[in-house]
Amino acid sequence: MILATDLDPRAKLFFVLVISSLAVFLQNTFLLLLVFIVCLGAVAATGGSLGNMLKKFRKFFGIFIAVVLLQSIFTQQGQAILQLGDITLLTDFGLIRGMQTILRFLIIIASALVMTTSNSREIIQGLVQWKIPFEIAFMVSIAIRFLPLLREEATDMLTAIQLRGVNLKKIPLLKRIKMYSYLLLPLISSVMVKAQELSVAMEMRAFRAYPQRTSLRVLQLGRADYLVMVLCTLFFLTVMVLYLMLI
Amino acid sequence: MIKLNNVSFAYEKNKMILRNIHLAIEAGTCTVLVGPNGGGKTTIGKLMAGILKPSVGDVMVNELDTRTAELAEIGKKIGYLFQDPQRQLFAPTVREEIAFVMELQGVPSDQIDIRVERYLDKFQLKALENSFPFQLSRGEKQRLAIAAIMVNNPVFYILDEPTTGLDYERKKVLSAVIERLREEGIGMVIISHDQAFVKRHAQRVITVSGGELLDDTSN
Repeated sequence: MILATDLDPRAKLFFVLVISSLAVFLQNTFLLLLVFIVCLGAVAATGGSLGNMLKKFRKFFGIFIAVVLLQSIFTQQGQAILQLGDITLLTDFGLIRGMQTILRFLIIIASALVMTTSNSREIIQGLVQWKIPFEIAFMVSIAIRFLPLLREEATDMLTAIQLRGVNLKKIPLLKRIKMYSYLLLPLISSVMVKAQELSVAMEMRAFRAYPQRTSLRVLQLGRADYLVMVLCTLFFLTVMVLYLMLI
Repeated sequence: MIKLNNVSFAYEKNKMILRNIHLAIEAGTCTVLVGPNGGGKTTIGKLMAGILKPSVGDVMVNELDTRTAELAEIGKKIGYLFQDPQRQLFAPTVREEIAFVMELQGVPSDQIDIRVERYLDKFQLKALENSFPFQLSRGEKQRLAIAAIMVNNPVFYILDEPTTGLDYERKKVLSAVIERLREEGIGMVIISHDQAFVKRHAQRVITVSGGELLDDTSN
């Protein structure tokens, strides 16, 4: 078994790139399902926890249902499955489109989970060694690093609102919308303040002072990394050939 | 008022931050938690307010079990001041920050105005009433957060580092407010490193270190 933590971040990025490209490009439900199963298999084979992944998927369940319904309502092609008077609520075509959208979501989330086994420093180094400018690679890593912090802040704010005696489930919809708008303001403001403070701290530590950067740690692609990249390429080509044959 | 029965807590599996804590806090008393950083004081405060649920044991706030009670239910009884006041400020202006919970609760606007004015004056925030809370100084944010909690009239307070960022004059104002609350029979737990503040207000001092209660002294 190849552990995801042992792989070079570039091999993982390549895997994510191949799998997510297929997810976006394919319009065939069975092939999307195949990509999803292979993706799950790859995550499990590289030491990822399928249980944790399922827990993450559960959070999106409501969104998935909404996607199927919206796709069905706004895609009026195909046979009607559910009608309310003259209004078609569910068609077989809409249902398939909804399922495809959900599969795309799942594939992208599952493939991206592989990246969480690398720390942000490794990801930057991988991108830099792929000749991506350090500034851009650094921005990517900051975005990855700050997402959980933002989530934590939003959770704390919701907790603080409830601790002031506001029961979120019981207040009327309009007031609830106003309350959520209250949450957006400090979150955006906090992001701006953090970005400003970080940029000052970086300048103080002479970020971009010299045009040439050196790295203490240089990543080396190993056999397992090449094997992963070759397998990904073969899988990509196979699926694309199958897809073109099925059209 | 608040009881911790054999409480242990872990943020990560098998890494207990608190172990076998037995603690009863009486209503109407001022208890101060002291101890080194990372000792578990804030975690105890968050367990008491129901923000965190115990891994083992239970925490009771009056008759409410924090494991099952809604946060809003606990929030009606307990006012909680976060260590970082910015985490509990939401509204676009200082005035709205103090008023918005009352608006959600349907309090008539003339009463809201009276109460808001009272707390703006009490915490010397009147000149800042139309300012954006995020642009206030640390001390001003702290005062605003405390005012926004107090305006709801909770029957118990948990204040995590309430004196951080306050100058000498503002500490005196806060001290006076705490004294008045004590006279009204309102209890509180204060987490603090401010020795002078602890000495002045504490009726009971509990030392927390390494996830355990090392000392419990009543004055």
